[in-house]
Order: sequence, then structure tokens, then C-alpha cells
Amino acid sequence: MATKVPAPAQDQGQNLGAFETKRMRINVGPQHPSTHGVLRLVVDLEGERIRALRPHVGYLHTGFEKTMENRTYHQCVTYSNRMDYVNGFAHDLAYMVAVEHLMGARVPIRAQRIRVILNELNRIASHLVFFGTTLLDMGALTPFFYTMREREKLMDIFENVCGVRMNYGYFRVGGLRQDVPEEFVPLVRDFLKTFPAYLGQYDTLFMGNDILEARTRGVGVLTRQQAIDLCLTGPSLRASGVPLDFRKTAPYSGYDEYDFDVPCYDDGDIWARLQVRMDEMHESLRIVQQAVDRLEPGPTIDPDRRISLPPRWELEDSMEAVIFHFKLVTEGFHPPKGEVYVPTESARGELGYYIASDGGSMPYRVKVRAPSLANLQSLEVSSIGGLFADMVINIASFDPVLGDVDK
Amino acid sequence: MGLRDLFERDVQELEAEGFLFESLQNLVKWGRSNSMWPVTFGLACCAIEMMAATNSRNDMARFGSEVFRASPRQADVMIVAGRLSKKMAPVMRRVYEQMPDPKWVISMGACASSGGMFNNYAIVQNVDSVVPVDIYVPGCPPRPESLIYAVQQLQKKVRGEAFDERGERLPMVEGWSR
Amino acid sequence: MARVPFMMPKPADLLQLRADALGRLAELGGSVHVFKGMISVTLPKEQVISALRAVRDMGYEMLTDVHGMDYLTYPGHKGKRFSVVYDVHDLSGAERLFLRVDLDDGESVTTCTGIWPGASFLERECFDMIGVVFDGHPDLRKILTPEDLDGHPHRKDYPLGETPTLFNDGRFLDPPSFRAGLTGRDPGLTGWKGGTREGVSATQVPGPRSRLTSNLDAGEAGEN
Repeated sequence: MATKVPAPAQDQGQNLGAFETKRMRINVGPQHPSTHGVLRLVVDLEGERIRALRPHVGYLHTGFEKTMENRTYHQCVTYSNRMDYVNGFAHDLAYMVAVEHLMGARVPIRAQRIRVILNELNRIASHLVFFGTTLLDMGALTPFFYTMREREKLMDIFENVCGVRMNYGYFRVGGLRQDVPEEFVPLVRDFLKTFPAYLGQYDTLFMGNDILEARTRGVGVLTRQQAIDLCLTGPSLRASGVPLDFRKTAPYSGYDEYDFDVPCYDDGDIWARLQVRMDEMHESLRIVQQAVDRLEPGPTIDPDRRISLPPRWELEDSMEAVIFHFKLVTEGFHPPKGEVYVPTESARGELGYYIASDGGSMPYRVKVRAPSLANLQSLEVSSIGGLFADMVINIASFDPVLGDVDK
Repeated sequence: MGLRDLFERDVQELEAEGFLFESLQNLVKWGRSNSMWPVTFGLACCAIEMMAATNSRNDMARFGSEVFRASPRQADVMIVAGRLSKKMAPVMRRVYEQMPDPKWVISMGACASSGGMFNNYAIVQNVDSVVPVDIYVPGCPPRPESLIYAVQQLQKKVRGEAFDERGERLPMVEGWSR
Repeated sequence: MARVPFMMPKPADLLQLRADALGRLAELGGSVHVFKGMISVTLPKEQVISALRAVRDMGYEMLTDVHGMDYLTYPGHKGKRFSVVYDVHDLSGAERLFLRVDLDDGESVTTCTGIWPGASFLERECFDMIGVVFDGHPDLRKILTPEDLDGHPHRKDYPLGETPTLFNDGRFLDPPSFRAGLTGRDPGLTGWKGGTREGVSATQVPGPRSRLTSNLDAGEAGEN
């Protein structure tokens, strides 16, 4: 459909005349530098204004849920963190709390605190990636290197604990695979001492930047009611005025004993989404500080032998331990029949594993409520009417991870 | 023949006819291997480690991969980082075909090399069935150091310093004869 | 840019909300089932939309998920094959309700995109994976699987699609044989039959002795 754009006021008298524009449908992705993974968008443009936007996802569909139906509950841990690979501990923790709720397992305090420390450090790492890639999409190259530098320190901590930098397999049903090494607490304390200064630098460099402010204030606005209607959760929802945080209202893994704020702004624009995540990094540091201060020696896994493997020394003494070990390794434990869902707060939004068990050693059905799929719907509403260049940072501001979307 | 040919005909023709002088061949080897620009083809978790390979701690740019070109038309090497789903496979083939010769492919990670831990209806079990792969990098995900080592191995292969499993030297890679 | 303060919800309000909602859903024909603190209300198909609208107006303002369950191979399941579960919660996140609809193969349910536009992708995913059709959905098509994939992968009769592994010595093993014995359905190459799925709840008593645990027969092991 052609529309006639009238000549702008300053050209009148020069006979430049009006020119016709037509609505153009272009394809963005799935291989594109400005998408956070393989996201394909079909955008209807009129000039530079977006008139319609349709995301096409599924280019990373891996069939996680179906694969998890064919693995024992312990083996499923290797799959859960590969969905949202930037925030792997959140998925592991969400899966663990769901299975522990189903089994009735009791996680010891030390294990809960270590889980919280690792989860919050991972949240900081995820937000660092967010800032690096969002500002990279805006054209700023330096913040990417700064945030990645901090993230390397966090990956060192994770490597010290879990042995891998990414895609951890550290949580077990009932606690942790093994206790943390001695260097863990000094490393975390060192990070807590040095990171706030960098965070202050980032605050000044990113949020104090005039260009960033001009590009993001009032852009990609999503009102409160729109956000609720579109099933948005997480920091993007908190940037639209709804202070929803499952760590406070549905606490899991001991989150109710820590004192932290929930940053929430009511603007709904990209600036608010950036500010929420910047504030969340401060809050995560607070939580880690409190958790590390309260860390005391103790067991790190539920001693119930039906759920957790016995320690190696016990295998030399006790026949029952050998039998439990054998049963757990070859077959796995059998949860009671039923369906559970425990909501948790990942860096992207509400994350939960709906696990249906039929009494066997493998889950009957695992449905992952991944935040990024629902969050992606807000992209359409907040981008329409805006410019194409703004859409690029709008995608980034909702922080989708396509592994999370496509499962 | 002689210098006139060098100026009037282009390098590819001369090379095909076997006219490439040793020093020119060295120049081409040096140039091609030390400026391999990857195309951004990060799919999943390995993409994050690929990004980590470009950060200040493990700087891949010092080995020549200065920029990751978004347009495949400007890139030499495609690092397939992550699990390739069957929906994405035709897209990847199209991106590969858009790359100009000579081009290479590094299959990064277990999922790209063999399907990894995902043996199901949705994942291509070896990226080699879609594009010809030069270097496989094991790991889930491979450390950034592994990826840099893979890039170095590819550079050796490009320069003609690589050997196959029987110990025979592989020829210098010619993009248009593959 | 104004900061919105966070306030913890009052437990009394939440209990009131829950009681009101359960009362209203009971009026609409819902049957309540509680398991480990989760409240599920199974509703007849026709009442689902009015039930969702009612709970939304009462206070369960956010829809988390619309997902399908296939009970084809669920041991001891009597009733319809599929089930669509709507997961709603209130704005604080503390009160959660699961509304279920039981459906047979081929039955469809009305879409709830009229109530929550954000259910669009969620219902599309349910359709793609399980095959439940949502009447009135503005754009019901596959979302995650490729266009040329027929069928609905998360149905129980859809195969996982594993490729057999070729080992260096020429053996061609299919992956289910590696997991032999874990489900008890087929012993596979090893011959070991693991625990069955019917009601085995604890492994305190070791299962029947087999070759793999001991190569002594009963007499030698001191059992009789």
C-alpha cells in the first residue's frame, strides 16, 4: 500500500514534492549480528517505522524435554543448564528445587547457602553478558570487553568449584555434588571486594552516557497493563512497574533469610530495563555477601541414601551403602507419582520445571516454563511504531536467550 | 611468461597452471592464515565461549581473527559454535554458500561435531553432513584456549603444514579446488 | 523515572483470594486436587474460559504457562489422554493455581488469548508439541519444530529419533540398549531388568539378586 509522504516544511517553495513510500517486508536473521542467538524476525517497514513484527523461533530447538524423559533424574541435570546457557545455575536450581519438592528431600543449610551464592554470582554474570551485548548492539565496543573481563573472574570462581566455566553439573538432588574447595570463600570475598568499584565504573560509563540515555529513554515503552497481559516476567516486568520477584514471595533454597531489595521502575522503556538490571547486580552482591558471611561447615547433601550417593569411605564398610550406590547409579531413585511445579527467579524471568513423575526412575514429562519465550511476545507490542534501529536494542533489552526460547 | 603475466593475469589462474613462485606462495600462505575473519555463527552455549575467546583474557584477535564479520561475503572461516538444529541446517548451508572461496569451517563443540549429548529428532548429528568441516574441536563447551588452538591448527592446515593420520603432508588448501 | 516499592503480600489476603477462587471454580464444576501444596482444579472443557476470566478478575492476574500433558503411557491412568494445564498466579507471585482440562485426541479447547494476549506463543507451543488445537487462536501454527516435521514430538507415541552409534570396531548400537534395564520395559543387551514403574517408592530393600550383583547362587550367598 503506497502512502504519500508530504514534503517537509523547510522544503516548501523548492518544488521537491511528495514521494511515495511502500510497505516493505524484510527478513532479519536467523544469522544476524544483532540478535541474541538465532532469532528470526519478519518486519513490515514503512520507511524506518515498524508497522508489524513477527518473531520466528525454533532455530535452536533441541528437544530437551523429550530427551529428559529418557534420562534418570540425576542425568537430567546435564541437560537443564544447557537451555539457558548464560544463566545455567538458575536452570539447575529450578530443576533441583522441583525434584526435591517432589521427593521430599531436605537440603542442608550449607548446601542451600552455597547454591544461593553460585546462583547470584551467575545472575551477575548473566547481567554482565546482557550489558556487554546490549551495548554492542548499540555500537559501543568497549563495554563488551569490560564486562567480559569481570565475567572471566566469575568463571574462574565457577571453574574452581565445578571444574567447568559454563554448563555446570554441580548441583545434585539433595544438595551439592561435593563440598566447595578451600579457595572458594577467599575467591568470593575477593570478588566482593573488587567488583563494586567496577560496578560503579559501569554505572557511570553506561548509565551516565548521554548517547545511551538519548537512545533508550522513552523507547520501546511497554505499559504496566500490556506487560501483565503479555505474560512478561523478570527484570523487564519490573521495569514496567510490577514488583514481582519469586525470591521474595515464593522463596526457595533459603532466600527468605537474606535481606535485599527488589528494584522496580514504572517507565517501561529500555532505559528502565537497563537500570533494573544494573540495580539487580548490586542486590545480588548484597545477597552473596550475606550468604558468604553465614557460611558454616556442615553436610552438603541430604544424607538420605535413597536420594544421594554415599561417600566413598562408607562403601568400604557397609554393604547397604554399596547396594544404595549401585541402585542409584544404574537406576536412580523413584519419586512418588504426581506433578510438581516450583517457580524460581532466573535472570530472565520466571523459570520453573513442571515435573510429572509416574513412580519410575525417569521423569514422565518435564515441561520447562522458560521465561524468554513468553518475554519475546512483548517485543512486538513495544517495537511497533518505533524505528528499526530501536528495534535492535529493544530485542537486546528483553534479554532473550534462544536456548531458553527454543528448548 | 614472466613478470608480464604476473601483472596481467590473476593469481588464481597462475596457481592453477602451476606458475606460482615459491615466494609468492609464501606470501599467500602468510596472508591467508594470519587474517582469518570468522563469520558470526554462534548458535548456543559454544557461542558464549567463542565470545569469551575474543575477550581481553584470551584474545583471538592477536591470531588474526580481528573482527567477526556479520556478512558471510566478507568472511573466511565459519565457526559453527553450538548445536545445529534441523530447522537451522538449510540456513547454515546458505550462509556457507555465500562465503567466497577459500573458506574453511571449524566445528566447535561436541554438539556440532557429533550431535553431542543430543541424540534426537531435532539436532543434526554431525555438521559435516551439511558443510565440509576442516577442524573439529571437542568440548562441551570447549575452553577459549581450545578454540584458539583450533584456529592455530587451521592456520597450519591453510599453510600446508598439516599432516593427516597416516603422517602424510596435506597440501596447502586451495579454496576453489575443493 | 519513579521507583515502585516492593511490598510483601498479606497472608490473610492471599488465603481469602484462594478461598474465593476455589469457591467460584467449584460453582463452575471444578474438582480440586492438592498435591504437595499445589492446587489443581480440573474443569470441564466448556467452562475453562469463564473460569480463567473469573480467576483473573478475582486477582490471579498473571498467566504463567499453558502446557499439555500426554498420559498415554502413564501407569494407572484412567480418563482422557491429554490434559491442558493453565498455570495462573497473582501479582505478588505467592498464590498459584493450576486449572486443568482433560481432552481426548482430536478434541479442541477455546483459546485464552482473548484474556491474555501473551498466551499466544504458549498455546502455539502446546499445539506444536502435543497437538491440542486451540479454537479461535489468531495464528495457530508450529513454533519450535521445523515446517517439514510432521507430528507432535512430545506425544508419547512419537519416537525420540535417536541415531544409532557406530563404534570404531564396527558395532552398531542403538542408544536405547545403553539404557537397558532402567525402565524395566525391555532388558536390552545386558539382560538386566531394573525396577518397574508401578509404585516402587523406595529402594531400601535391594531388589532380587541377579547376576550383576553377585555370581553366587542363593545357597552360597547364605540366603537359605
